This record gives sequence, structure tokens and C-alpha cells, in this order.
Amino acid sequence: MTPQDRSHPAHRDEDGADLPQQHLSALLDGDLQGSDAQAVQRACALWRDDARARQNWHTWNLIGDVMRSEELAQAPARDAAFLARLRERLADEPVVLAPAPTVAVAVRGWRSAWWLSTAVAAGFVLVAGVMVVALNQPPQATPVLAASPAAGLSLASVPGAAPASTSASGALGLIRDPRLDSYLRAHQAARGSPTAAVPGGGMRNVELTFIPSGDR
Amino acid sequence: MGAADLEADALLVARVKQGDVRAFEMLVVKYQRRIERLIGRMVRDSDLVQDIAQETFIRAYRALPKFRGESAFYTWLYRIAVNSAKKALSDLKRDPLVLESSRALNDEGEETSRVENELSDGETPEGLLASKEIAAAVNSAINALSEDLRQAITLREIEGLSYEEISEVMNCPIGTVRSRIFRAREAIALRLKPLLDVNDGTRW
Repeated sequence: MTPQDRSHPAHRDEDGADLPQQHLSALLDGDLQGSDAQAVQRACALWRDDARARQNWHTWNLIGDVMRSEELAQAPARDAAFLARLRERLADEPVVLAPAPTVAVAVRGWRSAWWLSTAVAAGFVLVAGVMVVALNQPPQATPVLAASPAAGLSLASVPGAAPASTSASGALGLIRDPRLDSYLRAHQAARGSPTAAVPGGGMRNVELTFIPSGDR
Repeated sequence: MGAADLEADALLVARVKQGDVRAFEMLVVKYQRRIERLIGRMVRDSDLVQDIAQETFIRAYRALPKFRGESAFYTWLYRIAVNSAKKALSDLKRDPLVLESSRALNDEGEETSRVENELSDGETPEGLLASKEIAAAVNSAINALSEDLRQAITLREIEGLSYEEISEVMNCPIGTVRSRIFRAREAIALRLKPLLDVNDGTRW
């Protein structure tokens, strides 16, 4: 992979500016149109994988805050401590996925099209009528979604997705809970046979259910 | 809040709804200072302010599936912060231990709550100085920018214009706007580096 390749970390434009970081800057301003559909996902992945990107995101937001109101100026240590503490609490929260129509409303107009290809490229599989839950993954890991095989569902394989192991629950941190399985079965029964999402289209409604953190 | 800010948040919220927790953390980093300031107007104790801010973001994360983008994300977050602060204050008032130990009479003979009279708001002289230095460094860095970069970053951050609007004002392509804002940020960040990069082990 050469620096001319879009996904190379040192991808630079004619002026030598670091393009991935520039995309992150554009994301901060809500302007990633004109880039391909996966620009938002890549910028978020850069934030996830690159400490310099995380530092930049903090510094750039701090700059904007301070320009508008000097009393918001403060050293990063407090902000970093805040995030570290919140991360620990977020790690205990189940990751929730929203139904497709809700996403379409939040992301207006033409952008709803990129959402579909992004979801597929990220290896997400949504099965209609069934809740799919994943625990938060550490920063370097690829997010993995899986449904309990006990509920009679199978994970459709998506090119590029990490293989899902439903047995090593310790390794992946899957929620294995007989109550969850019976819940999934009940939903499956109520809605008839589930249909898998077809890559590139045909995304069906996903029933959203939220598990409070105390109920595992 | 301009269209650009609404769009920026909408993009990140959409990512969170696809299961990307990091996108939520990006929103936290963006709004944590403002949320703490907001709560700090209602609650004096700085430890409590931070607790309530933490609670605010957790509640927002849990409620995000129900957020449909009918209001701006920050407006919605703002309401959660206010509710969290009110709840924390009323919980404190009902706490028998707090009630007992805080029931005190001030000079006018009125009952006062000790929490509300907490003088320390967590601001140390060192912290205040650091804040002033950071603000001063941002200002001088902006003044040191070339005209194009200064105008671009000012139109974005102070006037809240979108890239498209800025490209019209500055009569240049949107790609140039994006590049100028990025270079302005880099230049200001460089100036801030000695102030922000204290060897305190800050890790992002």
C-alpha cells in the first residue's frame, strides 16, 4: 500500500496535508460530502485507532469552545480523566442498535444511502424481527455481532466481517443468558420467520429492545 | 446552532445507532465542557458536577435509540443534563444524613443547605491560571494566522457557517475551505502544544 492509496495512514493531498486527519476535521464541521460513502466510518475508525487523532479531536473542539467562550478553556487532563471514567461505565452498557427508519430520520436526505453500504462494510448483520446485541469492544478489536444459536438464528456471513464465535463467550464477551435466548425466540415466533438483511439493500425493520444494565 | 453543527452531530449520532460507541465518545469530548458549565450553574460542588455530567452522558447513551433527530442533539442533551442536575439536587435534599448535618442557620436566621453554600467549586489558582493561559494562547495564535486561515476558522467557529456558506463568502472552492480550516486548527494546536502537553501522563 502506498501513500497515494486512500486508506494509507499517511495519505496526503498536493499541499502535503494529512488527509485522514483533514477528514476528521471536516467531520467535526459536519462536512464530509464529496467524499465516498465510507468517509464518516473511516474518520470514526481513525479516532478509535489513532491516539493523535483523539488528541486532535479534543484540541480542535477545545479551540472552538474557547473562541466562543474563554471560560471553557481548561487543560486536557481533566477532560481526559472524564472520558476515561465514562468509558468504564460505557463498557458495562450493552450496545444498542436502532431501527433503520430512525437512522434514516437522523441522517437526512442522500446520506441515508451511505448508511446501508457502511453497515454492510462494517460486517453488521441485522436480522428482521430479532434483537442483535453486542458488548463494547476494546479500541483495537473489530466489532462483532452475533445472535444466540440457541434462538435458532444463524449469522449470515458478510465479506470482510470478523468470524463470529458463539461458543467462546469469554473471548468475545457475548451476552449469554437463557432469558435473552427465550426473549429472542418469543420475538421470532411473534414475527414469523426472520429474514436476513441482503447486502446492499432490502434492510428490514429491526425491533429495538433495550436491556437495562442491571438485567443480564 | 447552525446547519453545519446539526449535520456534524447527526453524522455521529447515526454512527452510534449503528453500534459505534467511539462515535458517542467523540460527542462526549465535544460537549463535556459545555455540559459541565451548564450543571455548574445549578450545583456548586465540583465533584457533584462531574458526577452529574457522567450521569447525563450515560442517560443520553441509553436513551439514544429513542432520539429521532426532531430536535438538535445538543438541545436534547441539554435537557437531560438539567433533569439530571435537578434529580441530584432533590435526592440530596431528601437524604436524611445530608439534611441533618446541613441544617444550619445563616446570619439572617434562615435555614440553608450546606451543599448550596459549598464555597469550593474545584477551581484551584493553578487551574484558573492554566485556563487563562490557554485562552490567551488561542487568541494570539488566531491573530498570528494568515488572513485566509483566520477568516475561515472565524466564520466556522464564531459565525457557525457551513463549508458551503464559507466558500460563498470567501469565494473559493469548498475543498479550499476544508483545507484552510484544517491548517488553521493545526497552527493553533501547535501554539497550544506547550500548554496542553504537560507531562501529567494525559492519555487519549
